[in-house]
Amino acid sequence: MLLRIAGVIGLTALVACKGQIGQSEERGGPPAVDPILAVESGVRRLSQSELDNTLRDLVGDDTAPAARLLNEDEFRPFDNDYTIQQASEALITSLEALADQVAEATLADPARRADLVPCTPASAGDEACFRTFLEEFLPRALRRPATAEDINAYVPLLAFASEDNAVVDNDFYTAVQLAVAATLQDPEFLYRVEEGTPGSTAGLLELDGFEIASRMSYLLWASMPDDALFAAAAAGTLDSPDGRRSEALRMFDDPRAREQLHRFHAMWLGYRSIPHTPELVAAFNRETSALIDRVILEEPGSYLRLFTMNETFVDDSLADHYGLPRPAEGQGWVSYEGTGRAGILGHGSVLAAFSKFEDTSPTQRGILVRTRLMCEDVPRPPPTVDADQPPQGTMDAVCKYERYAEHRDQSSSCAGCHSLMDPIGFGLENYDVAGRYREHDDGLPECIIEGSGEIVEAGSFSGPGELSQLLVDNDYIDACAVQQFLTFALGRPTSSYEAELLQEMIESFRAGQHDFKAFMSNFIASERFARRAQERL
Amino acid sequence: MAMKINRRAILKGIAGATVSLPLLECMLPARSSTAQGAPRRYAILFAGQALGCDNYAKNESRINGQSVTEGGHYIADTGYGRGFALTTPLLPLQGMEDDFTMVSNLAIPFNANSSEGTAVPTAGAYRDFHGGGCSPLLSGTRSTSPEYVCNGITSDQVIAELNAGQTTVGSLVVRSQPGFYVSGYSFSGRQYISYGPGGGRNARIEAQASPQVAYRSLFQGFVPDDDDDAARFDFEMRARRSVLDLVLEKRAQLVNNVGRADQERLERHFDEIRDLENRINALPPVVSGQCFVPPDPGADPPIGGDHEGGGSGTVTPGSGYSDEHTRSRIFADLIHMAFVCDLTRAASLQITAFQSHMNARPIADGLGTLAGTTRPARWASVGGDLHEVGHNGDPNNRGQIPSAGLLQWHVSHYAYLIDKLRNTPEAGGNVLDNSVIIFTAEAGHGLQLNDGSSQNQTHSVENMVMLMAGRAGGLNPGEHVNANRAHPATVLITAMQAAGYQGNTLGDVSL
Repeated sequence: MLLRIAGVIGLTALVACKGQIGQSEERGGPPAVDPILAVESGVRRLSQSELDNTLRDLVGDDTAPAARLLNEDEFRPFDNDYTIQQASEALITSLEALADQVAEATLADPARRADLVPCTPASAGDEACFRTFLEEFLPRALRRPATAEDINAYVPLLAFASEDNAVVDNDFYTAVQLAVAATLQDPEFLYRVEEGTPGSTAGLLELDGFEIASRMSYLLWASMPDDALFAAAAAGTLDSPDGRRSEALRMFDDPRAREQLHRFHAMWLGYRSIPHTPELVAAFNRETSALIDRVILEEPGSYLRLFTMNETFVDDSLADHYGLPRPAEGQGWVSYEGTGRAGILGHGSVLAAFSKFEDTSPTQRGILVRTRLMCEDVPRPPPTVDADQPPQGTMDAVCKYERYAEHRDQSSSCAGCHSLMDPIGFGLENYDVAGRYREHDDGLPECIIEGSGEIVEAGSFSGPGELSQLLVDNDYIDACAVQQFLTFALGRPTSSYEAELLQEMIESFRAGQHDFKAFMSNFIASERFARRAQERL
Repeated sequence: MAMKINRRAILKGIAGATVSLPLLECMLPARSSTAQGAPRRYAILFAGQALGCDNYAKNESRINGQSVTEGGHYIADTGYGRGFALTTPLLPLQGMEDDFTMVSNLAIPFNANSSEGTAVPTAGAYRDFHGGGCSPLLSGTRSTSPEYVCNGITSDQVIAELNAGQTTVGSLVVRSQPGFYVSGYSFSGRQYISYGPGGGRNARIEAQASPQVAYRSLFQGFVPDDDDDAARFDFEMRARRSVLDLVLEKRAQLVNNVGRADQERLERHFDEIRDLENRINALPPVVSGQCFVPPDPGADPPIGGDHEGGGSGTVTPGSGYSDEHTRSRIFADLIHMAFVCDLTRAASLQITAFQSHMNARPIADGLGTLAGTTRPARWASVGGDLHEVGHNGDPNNRGQIPSAGLLQWHVSHYAYLIDKLRNTPEAGGNVLDNSVIIFTAEAGHGLQLNDGSSQNQTHSVENMVMLMAGRAGGLNPGEHVNANRAHPATVLITAMQAAGYQGNTLGDVSL
């Protein structure tokens, strides 16, 4: 028995169906401080990726131990939503195992050990050398200057180095290994704990330079600060907007910034783990990364080119895959002229995301556009619908468009919501799960794909090029990109109280001609980046 | 032995009220304990699959493109009482016929007239199958949303509470399937089968998905026999304690300087570290009798990549599989020895997640070769992920036989654990005599929960089946029992009572 939603299908029903993401009323009422001045932040545990990157930069471990030993992160769509993080026995035992393994492997590698310990111990219990090691290591691990108290707390570990024990092969580095293992289990290492000091407005907290440095490095690199950023923090450079801006610009030149931009887009647009052969996935990633790098870093200008770019970066095999002309020198940019494609929505990476039932899914692609590019909330199907079954249509329906007929049936409850999604997806139907152009349904030459689509509130289109233009022209993409970025930066969904902040950021993005690098730099330079407000309970 | 089932009306449907459900009298444990002094243990093993395939009756299949009508493949397609024939999914239990009871024809109530959350009957299922089935199945409480959340304590945790403070590990909660495997998506709640008191999100118990870490946390505390080894062990344990002390000493400094919300998060983390230290500081377990430190399982099998979450056309070899077979065997080994050594008395093993997207192909191809499994006479490689197999994701191999073969693989881990327990002597009998081990699948096979009208569907909470092995509390296994649509929680309550639980309810269900 199907649930029937009574009512006229049309824009009224559509309004009833959709909502805006991140507009839920949060617990505890309005924040103590206007989000325009300072945004609420909470302690955030490093995600698997952030922890692995940090271990790589801190002790040279590039084996991704967190991905092996910790439970999978939830992606909503980003991996860093701290509001759902919860410590558990499984987490703690995994973290202890991780700390022990990483510490042991680090000390077992002579080169990494030498990087870690800048002095040569005169004896197993050489306290001066141990202190030297701690003075170097602790500030980097805790991402702030180490106090005498911090260091003193570790010194008793030296007893394990100097203990006269016939059966244990202990030496100076035994204590170093224990110190590393202890630090890697320290919540101050595992979480980004921001305190701040009370500022001019009640409830507003001013961050110190090191707290700002971590904000910058985890936003731009998904890792800990480097020596230069620590130095800038210590010198007070990060306390000023200009200081933060110049450091941010330096950090953009680091390969970690590129990686982070690629990661952000892959999570946002859902293509972080697409189901194709490793070779094809690598080719798609090269293509999409090249576009991201170009529109943000290499040719400063409008970020909207991510969606409107009229050429794409391919090698010969990817050009053949798409049926595009081969590039001049084995790999390079080739024109999209006459293909109906433009920008990232024309890429195999994005076209592979949100597929279902072994084929493209017009509904899922519609959901992708609505939730990720228009920042709308699409409700779940009613429980009486078994969404694990593909739409069947009537008995004799063969072609996909006909099989989706029930979704369009104005007399059924389905059309109310599906008219928001399916028409978008059908406008992309000429592009298969691997991003190749097709004239007809897979294996069904009689099912010619018309390929016309519609965003009911905005207009009709055909193919990724026109869809992108429609989204750009109607001011969906720039507004939604800002909201997705803010969600990622805050590590949580934005709240309804932050609507004004969001609007201000969108205006600023527009005023800056959609230069994304400048927008991110401005975000970091802004006064509010150096402040926080405490979360309400 | 004749069936004795109380056929009282099933449900009054009064929201929130505790309702009485039929007794499974013949399974009721005697009130005397069998073995003097031996602890009673409880474990539940979970399979994230259904008992059949959509639109196929229990004797219908399609193998290599050919239609087949053949019985004996649906798990409960066998006679009632003692001496019932083993069906395809039960073949790994050959030789253990007297060690387990199968309870079939279990059903979770739902409201056929309304799909509203408020209309769900007591102990019933919200009409969205995958997310709605979890709470009534595992905690006997009604679900009111499609979220995968149990709204009450689960059976394994009732037993953990019962034994609190008596063992170093409260409960062993482990999961063999480490990844969700569907491109772009996450588990989102499908990875929990154990919930603490009260249920709900905050009571979810995160399973340990790394066999290596689970092994370490269970067996690192044993003092070696050899003197030198014992001296090294002593050194390592002192070092380990010093490390944890160092971390715990920072608690006040860190927690006192942050706001209330941050305090809550950090306190929870520090509490867990403190609990870890308490476990380490507890009297070390002693190797004696049948209790010994099992061999180190070594590094975990690598975690498989993602796929589209579909049928045979898209779930390619190499994706969606992290050697769940080996992982499950290691976890079964760990549960066995944790029980033998009395490190814990409650365990849950989620072999595959709710709505599991594990690649079925390595299991299908390995059936008959993977230890403990038997390849049915008619068999062909089944493609697709486990979830899609149930929804006929492989055009040529679908229906009862493919589903039964994959269920058999799940049962093989159950049989492996039971066999180990019964072959371990204890107090004049064996460990299985003092244990009760439950096996349950996610779904039954019958009327679809979602639409409330289609028959022979996997999205069904009808015709559910549970296996209950062991003789704890005087259980007398070896039968096939027709539950006559009793709630599955009645089986759990019976098992909990066998493990020492004095009450007669789980959630909203009473015996």
